[in-house]
Amino acid sequence: MPIPLNVLETRRETRDDRGSAAPPTEDVREKVFELEARGEWQVQRVPEPWIGVTTKYGRTKKIPVARTWHHKSCGQCGHIPGYSTSIFWLIRKLGLDYNDPRDQTSCTAWNYYASATSNQGAQAAVAMRNFGAAFESGYFPMIHCGTSYGHYKEVREELVHSAALRDEVRRICDKLGKPFVMPEEIVHYSEWVYAMRGEFAKRQVLDLSGIDVTVHPACHYHKLVVEDAIYDPDVYGGQRTAVVSAVVTALGANVKDYSTWFDCCGFGFRHILVQRDFTRSFATLRKIEVMREEADPDVVLTHDTGCVTTLDQSQFAARAHDRKVGVPVMSEAQFAALAMGAHPYRVAQLHWHNTEYRPLLEKMGIDWRERWREFEDDLERLKGDAKAYMTWEDADA
Amino acid sequence: MPETVLVIGGGPAGLEAARSIASIGARAVLVERRDVLGGTPDESSYAALTPRMGSAQEALDVLRAGVDDPNVDVRLATTLTACSGSVGDFTVTLSGPTGESTEQVGAIVVATGFQHFDPGRETQVYGYYEYPDVITLPDAERMLSDHRFVRPSNGEIPRNVAFIQCVGSRDRRLGNEYCSKVCCGVASKEAIEIRRLLPDTKVYIFYIDMRMYGYWENEIYWPAQEQHNVNYIRGIVTEIVSKDGRLLMKGEDTTMGRPLEVLMDVIVLSVGMEPSRGTRDVAGILGLEQNKYGFVSTPGEPIDTVSTTVPGIYVAGAAAGPKDLEDSVGMASAAALRAVGAARGRSGAGAAAVR
Repeated sequence: MPIPLNVLETRRETRDDRGSAAPPTEDVREKVFELEARGEWQVQRVPEPWIGVTTKYGRTKKIPVARTWHHKSCGQCGHIPGYSTSIFWLIRKLGLDYNDPRDQTSCTAWNYYASATSNQGAQAAVAMRNFGAAFESGYFPMIHCGTSYGHYKEVREELVHSAALRDEVRRICDKLGKPFVMPEEIVHYSEWVYAMRGEFAKRQVLDLSGIDVTVHPACHYHKLVVEDAIYDPDVYGGQRTAVVSAVVTALGANVKDYSTWFDCCGFGFRHILVQRDFTRSFATLRKIEVMREEADPDVVLTHDTGCVTTLDQSQFAARAHDRKVGVPVMSEAQFAALAMGAHPYRVAQLHWHNTEYRPLLEKMGIDWRERWREFEDDLERLKGDAKAYMTWEDADA
Repeated sequence: MPETVLVIGGGPAGLEAARSIASIGARAVLVERRDVLGGTPDESSYAALTPRMGSAQEALDVLRAGVDDPNVDVRLATTLTACSGSVGDFTVTLSGPTGESTEQVGAIVVATGFQHFDPGRETQVYGYYEYPDVITLPDAERMLSDHRFVRPSNGEIPRNVAFIQCVGSRDRRLGNEYCSKVCCGVASKEAIEIRRLLPDTKVYIFYIDMRMYGYWENEIYWPAQEQHNVNYIRGIVTEIVSKDGRLLMKGEDTTMGRPLEVLMDVIVLSVGMEPSRGTRDVAGILGLEQNKYGFVSTPGEPIDTVSTTVPGIYVAGAAAGPKDLEDSVGMASAAALRAVGAARGRSGAGAAAVR
């Protein structure tokens, strides 16, 4: 018997014939609505219009197109500000309404995952305080940080299953004067980027067909409350989360596989705090070197704060030991923004990145020397002007 | 006109139930959704039976010959679409190649079987839909029935083959907490077959613990190790990725308490049992209670393994949960006896009488 060359296609067709079985995990969102019906809390509905995406076991998740309340990431704002700026730039380019609040509270999840500090009530209270603030603004929460996102989903499970915890947190929210509200969906920004990828492709100005990309899926996106992450049969046969990879494909670049894709970036929470050498070694020896050896990418794209910083900022140490590193790292939001013509310094702010990125920009067709000159001019103007910082008007000037 | 019993499903349990019904002078209407008899062992091209390595196809031929009887009315490419009435007087609607028809039957035997777990739903990352060389027990069985075992990606003989046990079974995360009973034995049997075919190929079985009940222990498990050099490693495999054109298997060796990374050429996922779509559909049409996994409930267990929650309707084989062939045909005879008794109006033929 000859070897069938379409092994995988046949398997997928057979799978379709069998029909999808019932999801093995409960749909916590049903419980969220049941609790609303019992008067336990309010549920903030996903605003219209929304886009339906498919999660791991075939359920539909609603991703809001606009009227989003942006729960920012401590590490993004502190270390890689072009990350969140690019998210906002993309939203503005599509002409969509959003809210960039100034009264967000840090989620404290890093403390929790790194050292088990804080306590269940305090963790849940921070989440519900932020959800309450979003509800008051009339905008729907969108979480920039993968860790906040994963943590809030775990908090949602805890609150749904523990009446005692709900009572405790409700009392705290009452003291804070915040409404006790659970959003209908907990949405990560990369899910919005995934949902809107076709819109980005329509507005793309660069040809990225020559760009090879390796993707690092963020652990706290796809390994916490796994059933809520986005999967797509067209991306690795629905066996890996589709966010980021699907965006790369939509923009015409090439997703390249490598064997350690499932591994952590090295950040590891506890490790970055108390065993940083381990983090540096893991990020470079288990991730970057393997990518270079197996896929030789032009850029690594990921979708979380810790992953971008760790994969990018660990390479200097390995470079000192003559290891095979030197692959630029950024978020898919920055990559999409660049594809749509965003300024690499005013918007994507790649000068904050550690690993050499300029050969990548040249390959993407971006004149980084001219863009850098423009940026230096901007800085000179800031020195002389009454203006203390750049604004959106400057971004596309 | 003898009493008539409807048997749904033409696999081993359904065939044996229909044969048993006819053998005691009643009439069976045997409906099968496919256009051949044999059920999953036929559809999945089973090669050798566990544990004695007899030919699966020869066994199926024996079972098929059993329904070559004037008292068995075989309807192929036919499904049940509706049912009304009660014990002793059911009216069933059957949909087949010539359209819909109705039958009056006194009792019903459900033998709609199982389907293999879809490894794409596994929470571990096994890549069944990503890598051609990650296969399942039935995929391996198909190759072995042709007396060959190669890497599906390129047709080459594999150097290293690994079986991963409990894929879709004993997994709380998935909701399938149950053991599928046969996978340990079937994997060991296939491992022996591979070693016989390919003496230079190393074969490993990664397991949580091996469940070789009854004679499977001495007939399969020890011979696999002592005569065929199959390596059993207690370990949890969490992930399979592609590396250098081969499969890199990652996990933990739980005996040694250390991480595990080994290159394999073919990885066989020992997929467990789930209720077939037919079992779910038929249970819905007949109003049968299903357990939390979707299998047909048998509330009279342990002493009544075949009565369902509806008087006059009985279940045989893997429609009622993970079963091996011996369980299935044993249940089939028991279900046939009870069904004929119910059709003849005998009391004590249902679960209520047992409870």
